[in-house]
Amino acid sequence: MENSLIKLIDVHKDYVNEEVVTKVLHGINLEINQGEFVAIMGPSGSGKSTLMHILGFLDKLTTGKYYFKNKDVSDLNEDQLADIRNSEVGFVFQAFNLLVRTSVFDNVKLPLVYSGKKFDKEKVINAIKSVGLYHRLNNLSNQLSGGEKQRVAIARALVNEPSIIFADEPTGNLDSKSGLQIMKILQDLNDSGKTIVLVTHESYTASHADRIIKLRDGVIVSDAKVEQRLHAKMEDELTK
Amino acid sequence: MKLPIWLGQFETPIQIARQALLKNKVRTILSILGVVIGIAAVIIVLSVGQGIKGFLIGQLTTFGTDYIEVEIKVPNAAHTSTENATGLALGVQITTLKESDMKEILKLDNVRNAYSGSMTQQIVSYQGANKQTFIFATSASYSDIDPTKVSEGRYFTDEEDNGLARVAVLGPNLKQTLFGDEDAIGKEIKVGRGSYKVIGVMDKRGAQSFFDFDSMMYLPIHTVQKLIIGVDYVTFIFVQVKDNSISDLTAADIIQLMRERHNITDPNRDDFAVMTEAEAMNMLNTIVGAITLLLIAIAGISLVVGGIGIMNIMYVSVAERTFEIGLRKAVGAKSADILRQFLMEAIFVTFSGGVFGIIIGSLVSYLITVISTYLGFNWKFVMSPLYLLLACGVSIMVGLISGLYPARAAANLDPIVALRQE
Ligand SMILES: Nc1ncnc2c1ncn2[C@@H]1O[C@H](COP(=O)(O)OP(=O)(O)O)[C@@H](O)[C@H]1O
Ligand SMILES: [Mg+2]
Repeated sequence: MENSLIKLIDVHKDYVNEEVVTKVLHGINLEINQGEFVAIMGPSGSGKSTLMHILGFLDKLTTGKYYFKNKDVSDLNEDQLADIRNSEVGFVFQAFNLLVRTSVFDNVKLPLVYSGKKFDKEKVINAIKSVGLYHRLNNLSNQLSGGEKQRVAIARALVNEPSIIFADEPTGNLDSKSGLQIMKILQDLNDSGKTIVLVTHESYTASHADRIIKLRDGVIVSDAKVEQRLHAKMEDELTK
Repeated sequence: MKLPIWLGQFETPIQIARQALLKNKVRTILSILGVVIGIAAVIIVLSVGQGIKGFLIGQLTTFGTDYIEVEIKVPNAAHTSTENATGLALGVQITTLKESDMKEILKLDNVRNAYSGSMTQQIVSYQGANKQTFIFATSASYSDIDPTKVSEGRYFTDEEDNGLARVAVLGPNLKQTLFGDEDAIGKEIKVGRGSYKVIGVMDKRGAQSFFDFDSMMYLPIHTVQKLIIGVDYVTFIFVQVKDNSISDLTAADIIQLMRERHNITDPNRDDFAVMTEAEAMNMLNTIVGAITLLLIAIAGISLVVGGIGIMNIMYVSVAERTFEIGLRKAVGAKSADILRQFLMEAIFVTFSGGVFGIIIGSLVSYLITVISTYLGFNWKFVMSPLYLLLACGVSIMVGLISGLYPARAAANLDPIVALRQE
């Protein structure tokens, strides 16, 4: 397909630890197009993060095929994975994962350090502006609130202008108000064309996506459009 | 301004390393300290070692540079062995070296001149001033051969020596001790129970040594043999050669001559040892080299300890920063980037340690030189760019070696595992 971004064919993932094999994903078939906002749902331990790590080039699949932008990426080596992570993918994690005692600017800058391109300060500033934290530019990460930290993480995920953003339980550690703000930023990004994959176990959060994929014990049990999509912007105004 | 791409890539790991180190100041300073001590020790050993060597060579050359020395030796012991040294020190008497040996040596082709000598101690007194004094007994030819000249009066003559004259030449310090600023020439002094006339005062030899020649008294060898010790042998013969470049051959001739005269067929039973100036210089180089090597080994151990300390701290740092490493990898850092970052950190630590070590080592070496010079040793401050280069090289090496394993551990971390750990 023309605007296919991600295509998985019969993907399995086994973890092997000291000769104990844990089978986590069993034959995942999945296609995500550019511009989609997909939520991956499922109970804890169902394999959501594992799937996201494979999609995000942090981990390798055991068997099956992975096509990214119609190119076979099932068997890249570590350095190729690092390159593609750097140029194509942005991550947002539940625990924010910022560098401590490091300024907002330096945190957001991090992916650019490994891009192999000449450092462009404007990119960092623009990414920080897009999450509304320009006034916090020189603050250290530990001086920020949880919501602000997650916004810094989003800015960091954006700075390399990736094709897709993966957010693993991004609101899991936040109060509902801050969580809503994060969902609003993600929806805004999606509106401007960015593909977003959101991992969550809450159906409320998932309802902000336009498509929900449900996982159970490592298999996809449902994959459907969201009928009544929630819009963070409108919710925000209602609660005011 | 656009940075060249290689510089752009080089700059970032250094910046990352610097930031990481600044965040842990105390730890960084402590690990730097380990290297500072090691490198300072290496610099001090090299610099002071060269200073001592220069000083000792200066000592050797105060006797001239074109000589061969014949000394008594305990048979069956090597010349430079402890057996020989302790044997002679404990009073093993070797009574076979005679002035007649010198007379025969003087007949050899390449020999210009020679003196025989011996040492003893006596109380020397003048008007109530008493001084236990080393007596350097020589032939009259001493003053023709030794570079140190007589500053007042004169040295004794062959006639005085052969006639057992009671005449004395004083080292300048001894003269000062006995006479102060008073004129010494022509005065009578007591040596043991005998009365001697001062006929000369030597120039300052300057450089201090294990023997302080400037505080000695010079007496005619025959006078000492007959009137003071009561023996007919000497302990060394100092031979001046005409052509120093063939002194090896002359030394061989002397050895052969001595064996004939002393009826020795087995070289192991030699009761004398012959050493050329070149051999003495070699021996000195060997001794100084061995001591320097030993001290460098000690300094090296402190560097190894410092390196192990850094390795330890790096491992702790890797463990502590597992999450950071995982994050960096997640946003695109390759294993090589992480490896480089941690190696840079280690090298940054050891290199700064090296720089401070060089500064401190140089200062201490300079201080030692100043103190030595103040104490009267003829000692020069030696600092070569080679030492600085060596110290820099060694400090970088220590960083590379001690940083390699921790850096590899960091580089091989799996980003997912690393990210989960928070
Ligand atoms: N490195 C690993 N080794 C072994 N088992 C693992 C590993 N990572 C995850 N798992 C297991 O895989 C399953 C799915 O984990 P995960 O993808 O984190 O689930 P979710 O994100 O849906 O909660 C869990 O049972 C987990 O214990
Ligand atoms: Mg998970």
